[in-house]
Amino acid sequence: MAGAIIENMSTKKLVIVGVILLLFQVFSFLVGGLIAPSPTTAVHYLATKCVDVRKHHQKSKWFMPWGPNQCEKIRDFDEAMVKMIEANDIVFAVHIPLPNKEMSPWFQFMLVILQFDIAFKVVNQIEDGAVVTVDVGLAYRDDSVSEWTEMAHSIEQRKLNCNFTTSKTYENEGRYYECDLLPFMEVGSVAHKYYLLNIRLPVSERKRINVGIGEIKDIRLVEIHQNGGFTKVWFAMKTFLTPSILIIMVWYWRRITLMTRPPVLLEKVIFALGISMTFINIPVEWFSVGFNWTWMLLFGDIRQGIFYAMLLSFWIIFCGEHLMDQMERNRFAVYWKQVGPIVFGSFCLFIFDMCERGVQLTNPFYSIWASDVGTELAMAFIIVAGICACLYFLFLCFMVFQVFRNISGKRTSLPAMSKARRLHYEGLIFRFKFLMLVTLACAAMTVIFFIISQVNEGHWHWGEHTVQVNSAFFTGIYGMWNLYVFAIMFLYAPSHKRYGDEQSTGDLGVNSGEDIQLTTTITHVDGPTEIYKMTGKEAQE
Amino acid sequence: MLLTQRSLALGQQYSSLGSQPILCGSIPGLVPKQLRFCRNYIEIMPSVAEGVKLGIQECQHQFRGRRWNCTTIEDNLAIFGPVLDKATRESAFVHAIASAGVAFAVTRSCAEGTSTMCGCDSHHKGPPGEGWKWGGCSEDAEFGVLVSREFADARENRPDARSAMNRHNNEAGRTTILDHMHLRCKCHGLSGSCEVKTCWWAQPDFRTLGDFLKDKYDSASEMVVEKHRESRGWVETLRAKYAFFKHPTERDLVYYESSPNFCEPNPETGSFGTRDRVCNVSSHGIEGCDLLCCGRGHNTRTEKRKEKCHCIFHWCCYVSCQECVRVYDVHTCK
Repeated sequence: MAGAIIENMSTKKLVIVGVILLLFQVFSFLVGGLIAPSPTTAVHYLATKCVDVRKHHQKSKWFMPWGPNQCEKIRDFDEAMVKMIEANDIVFAVHIPLPNKEMSPWFQFMLVILQFDIAFKVVNQIEDGAVVTVDVGLAYRDDSVSEWTEMAHSIEQRKLNCNFTTSKTYENEGRYYECDLLPFMEVGSVAHKYYLLNIRLPVSERKRINVGIGEIKDIRLVEIHQNGGFTKVWFAMKTFLTPSILIIMVWYWRRITLMTRPPVLLEKVIFALGISMTFINIPVEWFSVGFNWTWMLLFGDIRQGIFYAMLLSFWIIFCGEHLMDQMERNRFAVYWKQVGPIVFGSFCLFIFDMCERGVQLTNPFYSIWASDVGTELAMAFIIVAGICACLYFLFLCFMVFQVFRNISGKRTSLPAMSKARRLHYEGLIFRFKFLMLVTLACAAMTVIFFIISQVNEGHWHWGEHTVQVNSAFFTGIYGMWNLYVFAIMFLYAPSHKRYGDEQSTGDLGVNSGEDIQLTTTITHVDGPTEIYKMTGKEAQE
Repeated sequence: MLLTQRSLALGQQYSSLGSQPILCGSIPGLVPKQLRFCRNYIEIMPSVAEGVKLGIQECQHQFRGRRWNCTTIEDNLAIFGPVLDKATRESAFVHAIASAGVAFAVTRSCAEGTSTMCGCDSHHKGPPGEGWKWGGCSEDAEFGVLVSREFADARENRPDARSAMNRHNNEAGRTTILDHMHLRCKCHGLSGSCEVKTCWWAQPDFRTLGDFLKDKYDSASEMVVEKHRESRGWVETLRAKYAFFKHPTERDLVYYESSPNFCEPNPETGSFGTRDRVCNVSSHGIEGCDLLCCGRGHNTRTEKRKEKCHCIFHWCCYVSCQECVRVYDVHTCK
């Protein structure tokens, strides 16, 4: 028993496996490109300006922008000026969704972006560092007649970041400032059919609230959610992938336990990679259709994070175990220097995510970017994570370079080695190069598709058909990494064949007397135990 | 006789009505096709009217210092007077800005939710709401442009040169909107990364469109009318007058009659003259006294005006000011 399946497989079989995987890959791209709609939808809303005509605001009341029981409206603020309406009595109302539509749990999440239309006026300009204070309430109902139920209420501050591109003269009065988009709200589940947002901009001269924010003409919102069709395709994909990875995992672990030696580090890491992939795959999101689980968004982030951390660790350890120097590794502790940055970086992003999406569980209007301290903190986390990522890639590149240097070193001495040793090293080199190639191909695909989806408008027209490039990117890349993990577990599982048994690859056939244990990792072979093993004695680690 | 004149009349009439129900039959000057449209799309008619009004306001802003300043006459079906009867640059601009205004206002009102017709459900088959749940629908400006095209071009179906010109200029106005839509994006992937990014097209500020169309007014192409014999009779088409200039694209305004100089009042051309118009004595441009008064010279008088000053503004509806008296020199054309 020696080496991994990949070394002992005939070229024909390898090609067959490759073609099958490639077919699945193409299939996963096509599912996204042809069946699924675009991943997300953005819907514009223009807030209706309602007037709160009640004398006292003792009881909270919800203002509907349209339909029966719609509020008393004003067209613009000149009208309000004439009618002597106070700022505190103006309510910006937005009903999500638009008339004749309803929201659905399949939308998964709902995030809302706020944008102010602020007209330039020479005597009423936006002050530097102006901050808008919004008093916002969110309510829901599940049919079009019942009362609104409050879901969240908060007083939030957002920094106005606006610039006026033309010269600030009387000539240009009435032109709009160009303002940055402001994050406004994020809800992790869409359990109700109708949502209503009521926004007020209270003014207090004394407390300097909403003073010097220019002439706000309108409030615009953009609501983004995942498309129901995409969610369904995505769930279907997850439901299909979970058992596939699970089965190969069980098969892989059985192979390892069948061996007489305990599993080596690399095998454990591959198994862990499988576990983290399954963790992402398990379609717990099905529950979000029935239950109002707002933490699903955060949970999804955590699962993705774990997988990425695992994948990065796997690459480092795989390189390390193929270094072919005379060092004894096979212990996780050896890699603390390389894995450390991954863990630390992931931890930073986790903290950041908890600060943003974690807090949003209790207050959907919270944004870490809204306050100065929050922005600095968030930037700090992201920068630290970025540094960790750079550090990691430096380590990885250095390790890959080392492996290649050792490979070329070994190449020259290969013919002089005994057959078993030579085969062992050839196997190592082949395994490493194969993974290197596949990984590079997968990474390149991910990057290329990422770039395409970033620059492209999202869909291509091919005659009658519309190809959703963004959806194809998500399903294709997701399928690809699944196939990657699948292929690694399958091809790098320990082989049951002995070198000598192999008939089809005649050149690999060696004297059966050389019954040596060459583990999947080379390290044990080198060093003083070498001769001991070569004599044919049992050298199980 | 022209779309804009009539639909502008509609704008005037209904700007005061606001959200009250509209009776299509009571709007004067609609052709049968427009009447049918009005009945089918009764919900969006206020926004159509609003759009025309928006177009006029922008026209008056863009031409505020010019000899022709987009003057409108109240209580008249053709609110611009006879100016638009001729196929001049001015007509070209008014048509373009009005059709852009309609598209703009309809898109806006769709975002406000005032109409149930906006969006994809109205022209997609299948049970209502299913398409939205499966693939969403963000129409952006398409629906507004569609409404503007249906409504504004409804009367421009004659085979004469004037119809061809109006159709072209209406389309130029709408194309301007589509060209000026800007893409806005939001990243919302893992930890807010751009792994998942959603983009949408945002409508430009209407002033930007006005500026652009004003440039197009200045560089409008003069055309000549050509007559062809076709199966349905004589058809008039337009051809660029000067072959050595670049051929007008669909974004350019076209005209084929030269404008009057608008210096003297002339009821035939619709010119009001520039007598008593306020001019700028220090400017040498078109709004300067020399050019605006067509060389007739100007009168100067001193005026004392009470003005609000040292104002403190709040974002809405409340301004605290002091009252100051300022002295102005006012120049008006002779």
